[in-house]
Amino acid sequence: MALLTVENLGIGYQTAKGLLKAVDGVNFTLEPGHSLGLVGESGCGKTTIGMALMGLLPPNGRITEGRIVLDGLEISAMSEDELRKVRWNKVSMIFQAAMNALNPVKRISAQMVEAIQVHRPEVSDEAALTRVEGLFNLVGLPLERLYDFPHQYSGGMKQRAIIAMALALNPKLVIADEPTTALDVIVQDQILKETKELQRQFNIGIIFISHDISIVADVCHQIGVMYAGQLVESGPAEEVFFNSKHPYTQALVSSFPTLAGPKTKLAPIPGEPPNLTGTIPGCRFCDRCPKDTASCKLDHPQWQEVGPGHHVLCDHC
Amino acid sequence: MSERRENKTILQLERVSRFYRTRGNVFRGGGRLVVALNEINLSLRAGEIFGLVGESGSGKTTCGRLIVRLEEADQGRITLNGEDITHLKGKKLREYRRQVQMVFQDPYQSLNPQVTIADSVAEPLITNKVGSPLDHMERVLKVLKTAGLSPAEDYVYRFPHQLSGGQRQRVAIARAIVLEPSLLVADEPTSMLDASYSAQIFEILQGVRDKMGATIMFITHSMASARYLCDRIGVIYRGHLVEQGPAEQVINAPQHPYTKALIDATPKFGRAAEVPTYGTLLAAERPANSSAGCPFFRRCALAERLLCAGTYPPWRQVGPEQVALCHLLEDAAPAVSTG
Ligand SMILES: Nc1ncnc2c1ncn2[C@@H]1O[C@H](COP(=O)(O)OP(=O)(O)OP(=O)(O)O)[C@@H](O)[C@H]1O
Ligand SMILES: Nc1ncnc2c1ncn2[C@@H]1O[C@H](COP(=O)(O)OP(=O)(O)OP(=O)(O)O)[C@@H](O)[C@H]1O
Ligand code: SF4
Ligand SMILES: [Mg+2]
Ligand SMILES: [Mg+2]
Repeated sequence: MALLTVENLGIGYQTAKGLLKAVDGVNFTLEPGHSLGLVGESGCGKTTIGMALMGLLPPNGRITEGRIVLDGLEISAMSEDELRKVRWNKVSMIFQAAMNALNPVKRISAQMVEAIQVHRPEVSDEAALTRVEGLFNLVGLPLERLYDFPHQYSGGMKQRAIIAMALALNPKLVIADEPTTALDVIVQDQILKETKELQRQFNIGIIFISHDISIVADVCHQIGVMYAGQLVESGPAEEVFFNSKHPYTQALVSSFPTLAGPKTKLAPIPGEPPNLTGTIPGCRFCDRCPKDTASCKLDHPQWQEVGPGHHVLCDHC
Repeated sequence: MSERRENKTILQLERVSRFYRTRGNVFRGGGRLVVALNEINLSLRAGEIFGLVGESGSGKTTCGRLIVRLEEADQGRITLNGEDITHLKGKKLREYRRQVQMVFQDPYQSLNPQVTIADSVAEPLITNKVGSPLDHMERVLKVLKTAGLSPAEDYVYRFPHQLSGGQRQRVAIARAIVLEPSLLVADEPTSMLDASYSAQIFEILQGVRDKMGATIMFITHSMASARYLCDRIGVIYRGHLVEQGPAEQVINAPQHPYTKALIDATPKFGRAAEVPTYGTLLAAERPANSSAGCPFFRRCALAERLLCAGTYPPWRQVGPEQVALCHLLEDAAPAVSTG
């Protein structure tokens, strides 16, 4: 059985100008122990999906359509009380820029013990501390740094502590939102290796959100490319990045700087994404698309299968 | 590019150091001295884009803040067009700040949420009493366009929360260039943005250089970004500059073991088989009992113990205009100049 099923998910934010449809008609599934990489333009709805999976949308945000089913439980239909039992226990999240959110006046060990006891009040102090020691070993933090304060840690160490906290209650699904953006390539490479190892060891499902497509290509089995609130291409990492079919994915890949190969000109995508508070009759990318035809503007594009497990939301691919 | 670029030095850092004293705490005793920058020599040439690359905490932002004089160097000298600006104060400092601007790391924190885009961008004009209020709007519209926000009229009355991350960063750039600075320090302006937005910001920065003739220091931890944007690159490790040279050369033929490690660890998009080998980087730091040696000694896999542990390496000329700081390069001639 799939670990996670997301069906026709729609999420809106109430704004002064009306409902902003941040996520629209998103479908995907994730098998236990697999990883899905979500990539796409800044503002396309990646964090919003992560927050919905955690049941943590802000007060002006709500699920307008569709279902989220995690491990047989319908998260999208749960009350806050029910969600509290699932959150951190079954699904946890490494938030964007979380390492700056550690409490500066509390020792790392105390913060982690607290994180465990908030969700498992029955766990004794000693048992919680033993668990924290275990987590330190797991993510490669030296035990003698248990009682440090956050400012005594380097960025990489803080990020490891955040990962340890996300793993504290043995979740089946971890959502990692830009987990390595603030880190340099050397620390990033170490953390990604460890993450892959932890995932394999504990059969954790991961949703990995990043705008660095080289990392996502390296870490994830499956890729979902989002544009303006919709998934527009999905499939195996190799296929999506190196045999891209959707014009947006192609443009994204060709604007990515690399060290290898000849230095070609980076090609940013001209124009701006559409306004998500209005209704968009046709394809959302058509104003910026090199293939744009008259029908693109008028009709919603349909999903096409372009290879085994490789799907594209475009009628002209 | 090269015919336009004169080799004239605009900004020079001579043996610039910056120390921070951390507060002591009850459990660990007295404060520690953090050497954020250690005797840095650098010079930027008029009209170039210079990349400062290094790991987190290596001193990149500190270097930028010293240059735009948000902070003051503890040792050494910084000159702009030959004039010593290291310890400028008062009116002189205000005049200096008109010529040098900085774009900060985080687009979510660099704009005042209560101020419209027009007012945010016009603010430097007002503080510096440049032009009359009547030309302000015209200048604001013009720089918004240069920064890739068009039609500019659509943006002027918006507030920051009504913009995406990429748009905010372009507003931050517009604000930084509205006084037409001769020098712009851009501190990781694209680290929060996706590839397409980053590529757009690169084009905008290149435009600022080409159209306004500004010199740019681009701070980043991405070698790949530096490759596309920069003419020259300086690599910094824990406050020490360790290699410097033309971007293509530093990337294709890195000479310092740390530069090699940075390039080795960069994910190779599209070449999954090429995993990092860490031929030059130790997995765990080795102990060092002297601080006199090479700054990279504790993590260097190639260290030749005695020399590296005890003696600060000399600068070597490892290519035309490329210099590196390492004992292993003893076959190369001493560096002609490190700045
Ligand atoms: N609380 C909110 N109220 C109104 N609009 C919001 C809110 N939070 C997000 N949005 C809007 O919803 C859209 C999706 O935002 P989201 O943060 O999910 O994007 P993202 O893909 O994570 O972007 P990034 O890569 O920049 O982190 C954006 O247009 C954003 O401006
Ligand atoms: N105000 C301060 N007080 C004490 N230490 C500081 C202060 N500002 C910076 N430092 C220290 O100086 C060193 C250099 O910091 P800096 O912010 O310049 O690094 P950076 O290269 O910009 O890192 P990053 O890539 O994470 O932005 C670090 O060890 C940092 O902890
Ligand atoms: S001087 Fe020695 S320790 Fe320093 S980088 Fe060179 S080989 Fe390594
Ligand atoms: Mg996000
Ligand atoms: Mg910095």
